[in-house]
Amino acid sequence: MVYFSKALFKQSIKANWIKWVAVTLATCVMLAIVIIVLGSININGIRDSLKGVFEQANQESYLKENAIDSYSAYLTTTELENTLYTKELNEEEQGTLKTIWGVLTSGYDTKISEYQNSHEGQKPTGEELTKIRTESVNEVVALMSSMSSFYPEIGEMLEQVDEKTLVMAIDSFLVAYEEGNGVSIDKENGATLLNDIRPILESTYLKIVYNVAYDTYMQQENATEALAVDSATQAQNLTKDAMDTYKNDALQDGVLNPEYVYNADNYKNRASEKVNAMIYDQAYKMTYATSTADSDEEKDAEAKQYAVTAKIISNTAISTYELCLAEGQTKEDALKLATQSVTDQIDEEVAVALEELGNMDIYGLIIGSIFYRIAGLLLPMVFVIMVANGLLAGQVDSGSMAYVLSTPTRRRTVTVTQMLYLMMALFTMFALVTAVSVVSIWIVGGNSFAINFAEILLFNLGAFLTMFAFAGFCFMCSAIFNRTKHSLSIGGGISMFMLVCTILGLFGSNVVPSAMRIDQMNFFNYLSIITLFDTTTILSGGISFIWNFLILFGIGLVTFIIGVFCFDKKDLPL
Amino acid sequence: MEEEIVIEVSNLTKDYGQNHGVFDLNFYVKRGETFGFVGTNGSGKTTTIRHIMGFIKPQKGEVKVLGMDAWKDSYDIKKYVAYIPGEIAFPDLLTGMSFLKTQAEFLNLKNMEYANSLIKRLQLDPSANLKRMSKGMKQKTAIVAALMADKEILILDEPTTGLDPLMRETFLELIKEEKKKGKTILMSSQMFDELEETCDRVALIFNGKIIDIADVSTLRNSTTKSYKIEFLNKTDYSKFKRTKFNIVRDQEKYFQVTVQIEDKDINKLFKVLKNYKLKFISEVKNNLEKHFKDILAKEVKGG
Repeated sequence: MVYFSKALFKQSIKANWIKWVAVTLATCVMLAIVIIVLGSININGIRDSLKGVFEQANQESYLKENAIDSYSAYLTTTELENTLYTKELNEEEQGTLKTIWGVLTSGYDTKISEYQNSHEGQKPTGEELTKIRTESVNEVVALMSSMSSFYPEIGEMLEQVDEKTLVMAIDSFLVAYEEGNGVSIDKENGATLLNDIRPILESTYLKIVYNVAYDTYMQQENATEALAVDSATQAQNLTKDAMDTYKNDALQDGVLNPEYVYNADNYKNRASEKVNAMIYDQAYKMTYATSTADSDEEKDAEAKQYAVTAKIISNTAISTYELCLAEGQTKEDALKLATQSVTDQIDEEVAVALEELGNMDIYGLIIGSIFYRIAGLLLPMVFVIMVANGLLAGQVDSGSMAYVLSTPTRRRTVTVTQMLYLMMALFTMFALVTAVSVVSIWIVGGNSFAINFAEILLFNLGAFLTMFAFAGFCFMCSAIFNRTKHSLSIGGGISMFMLVCTILGLFGSNVVPSAMRIDQMNFFNYLSIITLFDTTTILSGGISFIWNFLILFGIGLVTFIIGVFCFDKKDLPL
Repeated sequence: MEEEIVIEVSNLTKDYGQNHGVFDLNFYVKRGETFGFVGTNGSGKTTTIRHIMGFIKPQKGEVKVLGMDAWKDSYDIKKYVAYIPGEIAFPDLLTGMSFLKTQAEFLNLKNMEYANSLIKRLQLDPSANLKRMSKGMKQKTAIVAALMADKEILILDEPTTGLDPLMRETFLELIKEEKKKGKTILMSSQMFDELEETCDRVALIFNGKIIDIADVSTLRNSTTKSYKIEFLNKTDYSKFKRTKFNIVRDQEKYFQVTVQIEDKDINKLFKVLKNYKLKFISEVKNNLEKHFKDILAKEVKGG
């Protein structure tokens, strides 16, 4: 049995087409305007500049920290060099040094000769050599801490690095030992041994500096491999410069000048100058690499401009740092004061709110949360409320249903036909809205627009399913009640109530930045099925919205079917 | 020839509370018969008709049309039934003609010839806007919609409301023609005369109960008649009252009596009256209205 009446379907189209056209056109025009206007003006201007402020502040902080770190590292290096060259080891310390060296070298030698014995005198190469080195290193890692007892600066340095770096450091000892490297090791005398080890310690230190600088740089937002390598190399060069400067000043013919007195102040100016030059260079390269300017000249100009700013910032930071130290502040406090940026001076809550405002997705908010969940639903909802009522309750109330039902037409034929009409009207309406939205997105830049094609299609599907649920509900009310006033006040009333709840709930939902959000208002979201249409999840790329879509479809389907069955059984005042 | 019962209502009860509804109704309509339904507003005429149309479900009792249950077999019954609802409200369509065409589609009616002849007879302008039609125009449209499919059973709920007297005549003519075609008609009205003119039997419904079912032909062909006589003076009046005539009503104040008399005895009356001074004599028509009013008066007195 086919519960469908072509005549009734046509009649419903004739009775409602004007409403359909009006609502569809209005919604389409509204949507097109929203998308095209949003796409052609820079709505994110304020947002971007706010975001810029925070990015700049972060960059500035990094810059200042980098400057001060490099600056104090420069001074520490000279100090370290001074310790390396002036420190007199006592006998016990010399013994320890000898032991470490002995363990390291003899373990290594033994392993090499063992290998040669089992490989017909062949020397280990490549992977085999590395393996032997690694084994020796592992044996001596534990002993390294003893070395810190007479070179606390090295100990400090070693404490800051991870085991990998430590292993690498010892490894470099062995490489130097293995290659001879101009180092002749006198195992009998600890003092001479120290002379031999010094260059190895320096080269290890440089490697550590390199690694630390590399890792720190990579934590930055726009970091690239190449720039990190460059930055690390520069940090290494800076340290090398500190070492060379010290040697230049303190050593004559490789021997410490007896009249030389170490004074950090002597190196401060040079440190500051070198660091500023390094920061300038780094800032230039980074800006040049990330610049969006068209020509190389423009990129160059932009990079130069920023590099100058960076140099000034660096210089200021170092001066402030020195000033703070001179005023008797601890190193930590001085660093904190000197690296402060604009945003550090704002109250933390305000800073968080402002940063959130800077990260807010205004397109997602306006097109997703406001248009598709509220403004764009309003007219289709009015259409659904009016038409669903008119399809059954209205005709029963006025009595015009009598003309259909006095012909050989089943009640179920009437309800199923009207249901199909409502579904079809809604479907075609949203098909058009979808077409308009896709074309609008295409006009404003397609997938490069803040909202891409997939997202806009999901928005439309979600809005359709939401309206499908409302249509089912209104249809059910229309089928249950004989009076228009009851059908409208229950069906339309609850639907409108839910839409209003979604409007109020918007101010409590997390799409609104916390500066404007009232968390208690989120309660309203629990009162509305529109909450199941979750545009935020769609925009964030999650797939949990699929279940909610199924629930909305289910609500619509079940209420439609309940409506059909209720209408079969009730008394009609016709 | 055995008379087939087309509509049968037995023990039908639908209680809407506060004495509204219908209570234990029993009646039947035979094939070819025109059955009238008369009663005041809210007496239960429309409720009964809605039951026959299968729009509402009986609380007790049952309604059968052509032997089928009016509620359960509502769909099959509609193949034989045409209906004019009591309230005139049309679907949301533009013109009378588009309404009639849609209706024809529902009825699966291809040939509009009969419909067009009805339109002509009722002087209906089918191109008029449905919403702006006068009450009479709407009623005419509804009549055409119901009659055009030439169904064998017609159920008409106050079909003459809104029609001007001339149109009413035309409509009653139409009904009579339908009746001649052998159709079974059930028609409700508040007007006694139009029921008397068209119906074979008329039921009086009051407060949801059928008080009486009158056979119109018996009423029409009755051999007993009543005459109202007013005397000029009290002496004659008193003297007449002592005669043997059957006095059904006596109004001393006006010196009036109403005498009921068989047609064959009419000459006796005139012979007697020759000796009296009369102001007037008039026949009191024993029509449906009088018949029901008498019964209703008794009912109200008794109830």
